[in-house]
Amino acid sequence: MEKLLREMIAADCQEVVGSSPEALDKLRNRLLYVTGGTGFVGTWIAEMVCYLNQVHGFGTGLILLARDLDTFRKKAPHLVRCPEIRLVGSDVRDVIDLPSEVDYVIHAAATPDNRQHMTNPISVMDTITRGTATILDAAANLPHLAKILNVSSGQVYGRQSLAGTAITEDTVGEIPVNSITSVYPGAKRYAETLCSAYWSSRKLPIVTARPFAFMGPYQSLDKPWAINNFIRDALTDNAIRILSDGKAVRSYMYPSDMAYWLLRMLVDGGSGMAYNLGSPYGISLREVAEKVKEFSGMASEVLVRGMHEDNSVFVPDPGLVSASLKLEVKVDIDQTLKRSLRWFRETVKR
Amino acid sequence: MRNVIISDATLRDGSHALSHQLTKGQIAAYAQAADAAGVPIVEVGHGNGLGASSLQVGLSLLDDREMLQTARENLSRSRLGIHVIPGFATINNDLRFAFDYGVDVVRVASHCTEADITERHISFTREQGKEAYGVLMMSHMAPKEVLLDEALKMQSYGAEAVIIMDSAGAYLPTDVMDRVGHLARSLKIPVGFHAHNNLGMAVANSVAAVEAGARIIDGASRGLGAGAGNAQMEVVVAVFERLQIKTGIDLYKALDAADIVEKSIMASIPYISSVSLVSGLSGVFSGFSKHVTLAAIEYGVDPRDIFFELGARKVVGGQEDKIVEVAMELKDRRERG
Amino acid sequence: MEKLKVAILGSGNIGTDLLYKVLRSSWLECSMFIGRNLSSKGMSRALSLGVPVSDKGIECIRENPECCDIVFDCTSAMSHNLHAPLLAQLGIIAIDLTPAKLGPFCIPAINLDACLNDVNINMITCGGQASIPLAWVIGQTQKNVDYIEVVSTIASKSAGPATRLNLDEYIETTEKGVKMFSGCGRAKAILNLNPAEPCIDMQTTVYAKLPEVDLPALQQGVRDMVEKIQQYVPSYKLVIPPTYENNRVIMSVRVKGIGDFLPSYAGNLDIINCAAIAVAEEFAKKRSEQGVI
Repeated sequence: MEKLLREMIAADCQEVVGSSPEALDKLRNRLLYVTGGTGFVGTWIAEMVCYLNQVHGFGTGLILLARDLDTFRKKAPHLVRCPEIRLVGSDVRDVIDLPSEVDYVIHAAATPDNRQHMTNPISVMDTITRGTATILDAAANLPHLAKILNVSSGQVYGRQSLAGTAITEDTVGEIPVNSITSVYPGAKRYAETLCSAYWSSRKLPIVTARPFAFMGPYQSLDKPWAINNFIRDALTDNAIRILSDGKAVRSYMYPSDMAYWLLRMLVDGGSGMAYNLGSPYGISLREVAEKVKEFSGMASEVLVRGMHEDNSVFVPDPGLVSASLKLEVKVDIDQTLKRSLRWFRETVKR
Repeated sequence: MRNVIISDATLRDGSHALSHQLTKGQIAAYAQAADAAGVPIVEVGHGNGLGASSLQVGLSLLDDREMLQTARENLSRSRLGIHVIPGFATINNDLRFAFDYGVDVVRVASHCTEADITERHISFTREQGKEAYGVLMMSHMAPKEVLLDEALKMQSYGAEAVIIMDSAGAYLPTDVMDRVGHLARSLKIPVGFHAHNNLGMAVANSVAAVEAGARIIDGASRGLGAGAGNAQMEVVVAVFERLQIKTGIDLYKALDAADIVEKSIMASIPYISSVSLVSGLSGVFSGFSKHVTLAAIEYGVDPRDIFFELGARKVVGGQEDKIVEVAMELKDRRERG
Repeated sequence: MEKLKVAILGSGNIGTDLLYKVLRSSWLECSMFIGRNLSSKGMSRALSLGVPVSDKGIECIRENPECCDIVFDCTSAMSHNLHAPLLAQLGIIAIDLTPAKLGPFCIPAINLDACLNDVNINMITCGGQASIPLAWVIGQTQKNVDYIEVVSTIASKSAGPATRLNLDEYIETTEKGVKMFSGCGRAKAILNLNPAEPCIDMQTTVYAKLPEVDLPALQQGVRDMVEKIQQYVPSYKLVIPPTYENNRVIMSVRVKGIGDFLPSYAGNLDIINCAAIAVAEEFAKKRSEQGVI
């Protein structure tokens, strides 16, 4: 990867860790095992660990487990060269043992790409349900396991009846049981409940994070999500199209914030707890589109088709994470979009 | 007042009626007229869409590039649309170049139960920054619950609308209301409807679709389309005006476009022939009608028997080879008494 | 007589069906059934059939190259790209059922003997195994063939998520095979999925455009070819004999699966497995003639 982009990410890590890396001291000289290790979450954890090792001498070891290592080798060769990082190529369901030196586990193996949820639903559900059980069984045998972080999904909240309010961790929404759209949230809910069962019965120290939406380096612009499409269309000089009235409200977290929050939840999260992982600052799709257009400096017009009304709000309530973990968002939406545009310009150019 | 987008299938579904023999002059003249009338989307191509010129379905006179180029040169306001069926058209062989010719809207179609074959074509279209619609063909062959499941897949792939096609012209208005209503209530993207006139219901069914929540309606000037033809676009426009449904199309100019079709494109005005009526009743793809007629002559059997036999075998679009097989079997059966 | 030792790499549906075919073969012995997870359905089945199994993937062969003479690779194109050089190095023949396309294309009824000199043999596609032999007959018996088209319709249920996602690759590979074997420069492949219940059998129709047709030669050639294919795909059946009508040549075959492990409507999967077995058995016969075993 180009030096410029590597420096950009290092600066991002520096910004969120700031002058107090001691908040993550528990990771010093420990070994971290990440499933889904080459995905968006895993790659950012790797960037953050690399940064902590290089700049703050953490000496943290990292094992990344994933099916497809080749894509990762192409995407992030500098991480592959990082001496503390080891890659393991396997399907999460086929894992038998974790190396006995592992202290921390982050379980992030599941694709959030809703196209795959639809096209290959059985395999998606099997990876989430059986994959989680496999990892929990293996982790239960570790001699000095400190914590497991289960990366769930904000989608476990299901349909929200209280339109317009931020979602707290105890908000239980409705997930229809007999729809193809429930494959992912249904499996993720099952996986969370399974974690609770292992926490209760096997006394495993498990924390759950529920990610919302993110935007930044290592995202793929081909994902079928609104903000990804806006950026792609702006950069390719096509019109930015919003099918609805553009009033739906979402929030977007920059991935350095995400990685930092995840590591903090891993080391300091209360066992048995679930935390929202996402920016609490809501923004309408229309505003996002306008900002993308403005920051990209392109001539793309924003077309609001208004085919249907959408007043939905999907934004996490930050109360619990801010009170118990003192976490806050360091990168605002404008910076998130500007840095994303810069990243994608550079990577598309390559 | 409600808004409905009219998508014009004259130069695409109409190709079936002309055995895919559209000329450049015809495409240019019609595209100009449709553009002048303010038709939002003008589809062009072989009847089964991009990459479908074949011995199975029929060879086109012009290749896809010539058709797209000619249409593009004559459209300024209207968006240029294409129909694409994965299984016929591949991204590398066909879809990639279509964007070089300035296609705006790609309608990615599959049989109504097979939406997952559209994932890559829809994704690729979105990656090019162009509009992608999903199309469920032969939709009368699946119950509404299945149609919704398939439509949800297309929505997840990035389709910006889902159109259900009554490819056999088998629906009555209550069928349309039931299905379109079910989809419109459950999808986040607009629902469209594509009618065929085998049972004389094309315009009435289009009205029913809008009443049930459809936001896109396919039509063809003078109804030029496979079998008994599509919903006659200029009639749809006029009826919608009466119903205070806004299409943005200039009726007078739409009539001019329809006159061009009648005078210089179609050999005969589409009507509900005995064969087309049977095609609708048996629920067989309208595009089969010319092939069935030819096979009936070749093997000396009754085309109506062929249609009912094809219907009984639940044949789908793209299985034109079955027509020859069924005709041979019918002949065989008759000869053996 | 001692049988030739084959390993099956990949414990999914294709691998499991191949296992049944190998168990029936009088020339082959399944010396190792290799997957990634001992609790997978394919592995459990192999265990219950008393077949040696390994969950170590290609490592199993690397550690114990003596375990087999031939490997059927039923994993994925991506995996086969990694497996192929290793197997070649170990002197193990790879019969490739993935779309990796590293080795020469093989249609047993056409070029079986020629393939026996290679260490990596590609089985093309299911539709290709059904259609290419007929396209080859057209190329052999007719002059100035302008264009060949092959259309396959298969039961929806027989097309899993990977097949559906890779329709484009199926089409492009089949077209390449049709051109290569027929010698015709222009070819097109079409695939339809039909959801009818009960499931339809796989049907493949081959069309050709040519200035004039020598129908007797074509009919004789097709009869011979169908007979040849039936030796390894017993249910390969001509349903439309070569016919000239409406300015085109048309012929059509139907393939019902044997129903070893895959259901009988999956004739498309059965035919490629039958072809792969035919290749392996031919190797076995050759070795036995040479007295190598």
